[in-house]
Amino acid sequence: MLKYIGKRLLYMVLTLWVIVTVTFFLMRAAPGSPFSGEKELPPAIQANLEAYYGLDKSLFMQYVDYLISVVKWDFGPSLKYKGQSVNDLISEGFPVSFALGMEAIFLALALGVLLGAVAALRHNKWQDYTAMIIAVLGISVPSFIMASGLQYVLAIKWSVLPVARWESFAHTILPALALASTPMAFIARLTRSSMLEVIGNDYIKTAKSKGLNSTEITVRHTIRNAMMPVVSYMGPLISAILTGSFVIEKIFGIPGLGMHFVTSITNRDYSVIMGVTVFFSVLLLVSILLVDIAYSLIDPRIKLADKKGE
Amino acid sequence: MENILEVNDLKVSFNTFAGEVQAVRGVNFHVKKGETLAIVGESGSGKSVTTQSIMRLIPMPPGEIKGGEILFEGTDLAQKSDKQMEKVRGKDIAMIFQDPMTSLNPTMKIGRQIMESMIKHRKIAKTDAKKRAIELLDLVGIPKPEQRVDQYPHEFSGGMRQRAMIAVALASDPKLLIADEPTTALDVTIQAQILELLKDIQKKTNTSIIFITHDLGVVANVADRVAVMYGGKIVETGSVDEVFYNPQHPYTWGLLASMPSLDAEEGELQAIPGSPPDLTNPPKGDAFAARNSYAMKVDFEMEPPMFKVSDTHYAATWLLHEDAPKVEPPAVVQKRIEHFKEKAGER
Amino acid sequence: MKKKLLLFSILLVFSVILAACGGDDDGGEEGTSDNSGDNGESTSDNGGESSAEQVFKANIASEPFSLNPSLANDATSSAVLLQTFEGLTRIGPEGEPQEAMASEIETSDDLKKYTFTIRDGAKWSNGDPVTAQDFEYAWKWALDPNNNSQYAYQLYYVKNAEAANTGEGNLEDVGVTAVDEKTLEVELENPTPYFLELTAFYTYFPVNSKIAKENEEWYADAGENYVSNGPFKMTEWSHNDSITLEPNEEYWDKEAVKLDRIEFAMINDFNTELNSFKQGEFDWAGSPFGSLPTEAIPSLKEDGSLNVEPIAGTYWYKFHTEKEPFNNVNIRKAFAYSIDRQGIVENITKAGQVPAMAAVPPTMFSDNEEGYFDAVNIEKAKEHLQKGIEELGYDSVEDMPAVTLSFNTSESHAKIAQAIQDMWKENLGVDVELSNSEWAVYIDQLHQGDYQIGRMGWLGDFNDPINFLELYKEKGGNNDTRWHSEEFASLLEESQTETDSEKRTEMLKEAEGILMDEMPIAPIYFYTNAWVQDENLKDVVMSGLGDVQLKWAHFE
Repeated sequence: MLKYIGKRLLYMVLTLWVIVTVTFFLMRAAPGSPFSGEKELPPAIQANLEAYYGLDKSLFMQYVDYLISVVKWDFGPSLKYKGQSVNDLISEGFPVSFALGMEAIFLALALGVLLGAVAALRHNKWQDYTAMIIAVLGISVPSFIMASGLQYVLAIKWSVLPVARWESFAHTILPALALASTPMAFIARLTRSSMLEVIGNDYIKTAKSKGLNSTEITVRHTIRNAMMPVVSYMGPLISAILTGSFVIEKIFGIPGLGMHFVTSITNRDYSVIMGVTVFFSVLLLVSILLVDIAYSLIDPRIKLADKKGE
Repeated sequence: MENILEVNDLKVSFNTFAGEVQAVRGVNFHVKKGETLAIVGESGSGKSVTTQSIMRLIPMPPGEIKGGEILFEGTDLAQKSDKQMEKVRGKDIAMIFQDPMTSLNPTMKIGRQIMESMIKHRKIAKTDAKKRAIELLDLVGIPKPEQRVDQYPHEFSGGMRQRAMIAVALASDPKLLIADEPTTALDVTIQAQILELLKDIQKKTNTSIIFITHDLGVVANVADRVAVMYGGKIVETGSVDEVFYNPQHPYTWGLLASMPSLDAEEGELQAIPGSPPDLTNPPKGDAFAARNSYAMKVDFEMEPPMFKVSDTHYAATWLLHEDAPKVEPPAVVQKRIEHFKEKAGER
Repeated sequence: MKKKLLLFSILLVFSVILAACGGDDDGGEEGTSDNSGDNGESTSDNGGESSAEQVFKANIASEPFSLNPSLANDATSSAVLLQTFEGLTRIGPEGEPQEAMASEIETSDDLKKYTFTIRDGAKWSNGDPVTAQDFEYAWKWALDPNNNSQYAYQLYYVKNAEAANTGEGNLEDVGVTAVDEKTLEVELENPTPYFLELTAFYTYFPVNSKIAKENEEWYADAGENYVSNGPFKMTEWSHNDSITLEPNEEYWDKEAVKLDRIEFAMINDFNTELNSFKQGEFDWAGSPFGSLPTEAIPSLKEDGSLNVEPIAGTYWYKFHTEKEPFNNVNIRKAFAYSIDRQGIVENITKAGQVPAMAAVPPTMFSDNEEGYFDAVNIEKAKEHLQKGIEELGYDSVEDMPAVTLSFNTSESHAKIAQAIQDMWKENLGVDVELSNSEWAVYIDQLHQGDYQIGRMGWLGDFNDPINFLELYKEKGGNNDTRWHSEEFASLLEESQTETDSEKRTEMLKEAEGILMDEMPIAPIYFYTNAWVQDENLKDVVMSGLGDVQLKWAHFE
């Protein structure tokens, strides 16, 4: 296992390097500069600014400097927000986004598996149809429409939850729901089809022949085996949550990291773009590694690496 | 010896889009305590549906018990609710399935799968259950059971898996064991071992066994009595000796003739021409009539009842009617019978 | 099974913990269902009694660029700084500059030298006295090219300021000197009649030089190093989240301050802003703090809650005057005259804007409400088109080179552009292509001259027409049109030294006349602030520039 993790870490570093390089050159290829304003800056000031942020060096030198700073985990000052460093922005915004993301993942998993299991167990009955209609809605309605809809109904019309901001637990419910809606629907469908497939398997019949009741069969035998596709979905799920959070954070006025991901590009804030990209990439790569490890924990038939080789 | 199981006129159908499939059309048999009954027949004859109906494992819908009784130790299982059946399954009656590869939960340790029914039915503590599981694994002939009990099915070979399945079935000391083609998926050498094992266990525990198979060789090896099924009905039943040495039903002759034999002089294998009947629309008379070279006009008109050959031997063929012509089994079959007698004599 | 249950329960516990600490310890004072339930107009629940809660909540839509007045260059930072800092002067409720940090102001005869006396009792929020050195320090700091202040050019009216800022001169030579603690002497390049408007602008604000010298990053966060001299002090700054202001007890005029607290949120979504307002979570929605979603404006107008105030800003289309066909003045006029301005403000922008037939807004030249030409005149437009075609040597409209209208990506600019594209097609028979790009790219394109017609707007920095006219004085800077007129430029130059204000106004009007006659830009409408506010909120001062001062604000 350790050797496996070690190998994976190596690949992760390689992947990260590719991401950093591609992002760096793509970002600099875009026209426009971080200092564009309505009024053209006097050349002296423009030159000064560029020197200050190291933008006057050759592109390659800047790239090398940047790689070094990534290794040191110091992403430099924001070009747009004076006095704030990228590390500050990340350390302020990330916990918020993380909490939102975790809540959304939890909702998506819990509700999704529940919905899918109910649908599978009551196959072709009204519970199945209802659950699948909910699932279709969740998948086809974009998260921002879901967000606005939830906001309108729950926060404005019925006033049970706050409209926006991130102040208390009640504030987290609507954004987490909106963010979780599409993944939840996916998970529901995956769970349902996977469970239907598992239910048809012989070992479920064996379980029944042992005299277990349906709850015991479902919980101990069906669900565990049906979870593999759901676990496979965790990777894309995490990235969906990450990217979906941008829109949700904007609509609900949540001071997370997602907003920076988008606005830094409009601002041409190079250091923030790179910092946030690196950060999110690391997050994603680590998540994928964790998912792969989770795989092997759930299904003993999956070997991560060649053991002794039977 | 009393009957531990008595099945009377069991009828089981499936309601499908194509119509009602009458899988079991009035089946009668019994199993005595401590004996092994073999049920023989080709695919689609209704053997599995019959036994799975005993345990009420058939999903209802689309399945339906249309009539008959299943008397287990006197109580009619056909009348019990699913919840009530949960107390019977795994405890009084246990089943061993055909494919050990797919019949075991791949993500659960073998030990746990064995312990499940123990804990459920006998409410013993986990540690005791584990000890018993190890004992069972030992009983079914799995080496190093203390290690194996914590392993997963994919770490066992095919034969070992089937042994483990047997251990699972035996976990709660069932009175009746139903083995649904347990050796079909295994190779011959392993097959022999499993059969030995079952006989051994029966001797030790006096469990009754229903053994489903399509292989007559296995029947000869293992069973006390045999029932031959065709088209959802039992066509001949008797002790193994009676049915093998004195088969009466043309279908039984066909089965015996088609057994491949190393000592046989014939060049070709004998097959029964034709295919099993469509059970959505079962034929009026004898279901076998279409493929029966000895069929008479009456076979197409009326279903033959069970004719008595001896107190224990019955066959459902019009050939046994007093007015029917005397027909001897085909030469091939007679040669086989001779062969059996010789073999039996050698022992 | 055990593992799954374990995993599940870990996840459950985890997220409950996270959710619990996801909220701040404010305990959810915002957005509880107490004061919600009204749709439409939001009334303060505690209205009617003088013991109303004096807390003002609004949305400033995004993180301010910088809360160092010497660095700020945007409306968001300005909205906050105007409450926390104070310059030598302040624009009063009547719209005229009044003495603020300065208790006495003397001008020399040639109007090039100002002497400010800092008032007694002027204090920073930590008790330090406000000194003339604070002003000198701040202005020179802003002009220091190493500090990269993008609004430093506002200080160029001061002698030698431009030279120092562009690196051609020394900071010591800049014409601002603290003679002593209380006296500030300022020398100007030219007599600048609107100089006292300028000293109310944030780039002219002082900073606590003692703290700033020791602590370079004093302005990055709230805290003991962030001191200000205005009616409020910033007690909390949660980046990208919120800013809290409380009354400054050291403020010389603290009696005038009625509010107990100001809370600014930073919600980027305008629909959410309006919805929060309707739920009572904000006391203000719309300009200048945030913005009202355009679709919501008609219904707010109908229920009477919409407030509209013209401000000093013009929305115009620039022509590239060195490229065909807009190198011809008749073509430019043809395009400008055929825009139905009334139609646009009524049907597209809908926020009470005024059609613009002049460059300088009516808040500065009141007869610019009428302007220099008709709001739309298709006849004349066609005449000019014909003339222009002939002058350029084409046979007909179809022979003219392809025309593209550029703008920065935004739904509102797109709608206006599409409407105007339609008008040009119908009225002139010209097919105009539309092209939009992201702001940073777009602005580069304009500066590089990579456009034919480009959309732009200009909001006044201070209340004088020259602010709008000087954009087109030189070919560079903010001009972009490549248009230059000696006559125009010299009129503006002369106006700088004209001491008689009436004569000066005439000069500026003449200059504007030239601008409108040559039409390097086609003005379209004058901006307004559109907002909704709590009915009980009183004495909010909105200047002609559109900014808001909360010094005197209170809830009834």
